[in-house]
Amino acid sequence: MQEEKEFIEQLLNLKTQNQAFEKLIVDSQRPLYNHIRNIVLNHDDADDVLQNTFVKIFQNLKNFKGESKLFSWMYRIATNEALNFLKQKSKRNEIPSEAVQNKAIENLEADIYFDGNEIQLKLQKAIALLPEKQQLVFKMKYFEELKYEAISEILGTSVGGLKASYHIAVKKIEAFINRN
Amino acid sequence: MKTFKLENETKIESGFKTPDNYFDNFSAKMMERLPMNEPKVISIFQKRKNLFLLIAAILVLALLVPTLYNYSTTQKSNMDAAALENYITYQTNVNQYDLINVLETEDINNIKISMVIEDKAIEDVLSLNSNLENLILE
Repeated sequence: MQEEKEFIEQLLNLKTQNQAFEKLIVDSQRPLYNHIRNIVLNHDDADDVLQNTFVKIFQNLKNFKGESKLFSWMYRIATNEALNFLKQKSKRNEIPSEAVQNKAIENLEADIYFDGNEIQLKLQKAIALLPEKQQLVFKMKYFEELKYEAISEILGTSVGGLKASYHIAVKKIEAFINRN
Repeated sequence: MKTFKLENETKIESGFKTPDNYFDNFSAKMMERLPMNEPKVISIFQKRKNLFLLIAAILVLALLVPTLYNYSTTQKSNMDAAALENYITYQTNVNQYDLINVLETEDINNIKISMVIEDKAIEDVLSLNSNLENLILE
């Protein structure tokens, strides 16, 4: 905790800011990329959103109150950026956000940056049918292996609520895969 | 066919890949994109805000001066009727003939006073008038 406090001070100090922020990028780029990619599905979109996320993090560092962990705060920004990206895409193409996601799933089969087998593709299709919140909880728990406490801090939902959401999501996914 | 149970299966990975060396170059690419140490842009208006406000206030006042002046000088003065009459009588060259020329028949009719005068009264007035003879002769 003390270590994090010192690191945040380095991020806010103009003399040490560049070096500290570069370290922050190196340390967090992979988990944040994976989190964003799980939401937007396509690599190019994930790359755009990840860059925007780091710009937002940099611009808002001075507003970081330290009430939550730096990691959770960054995840929260990444989640909002990714969800907003999908909403804007849906608005731009004048199609519902579910349709945007279905199209992204269809494109996965031809995506050179997706090497999933049949069951992986089926799992993605099953997730796409879930409500937004359940999708987020499932992806963060199953793929990203985050603890419920961490997810709770990122999404602002109680641990009990998250457990229920994950349980329902798993049941729906199993039912979909068994049907298909 | 056995029923699919997520917890009984080996973990299914997302299947997403990234281009080669994507993360090796990402931080350098990102650092170039950051708006670091950007000089704060202060607009000319912000910098000289007080000066602009002062000029604006002077302009407003300058524009208001003629308006206020006109307002104070065009106020209707209620001129006293007696003073006007005295002015026309003593300070101008207007005589009764000028006034008669200006008057229309209608105006004359308006100022006619209908008065019933008894013959006796007329006789009394005429008898007291010392110039009566001269008037008759004329």
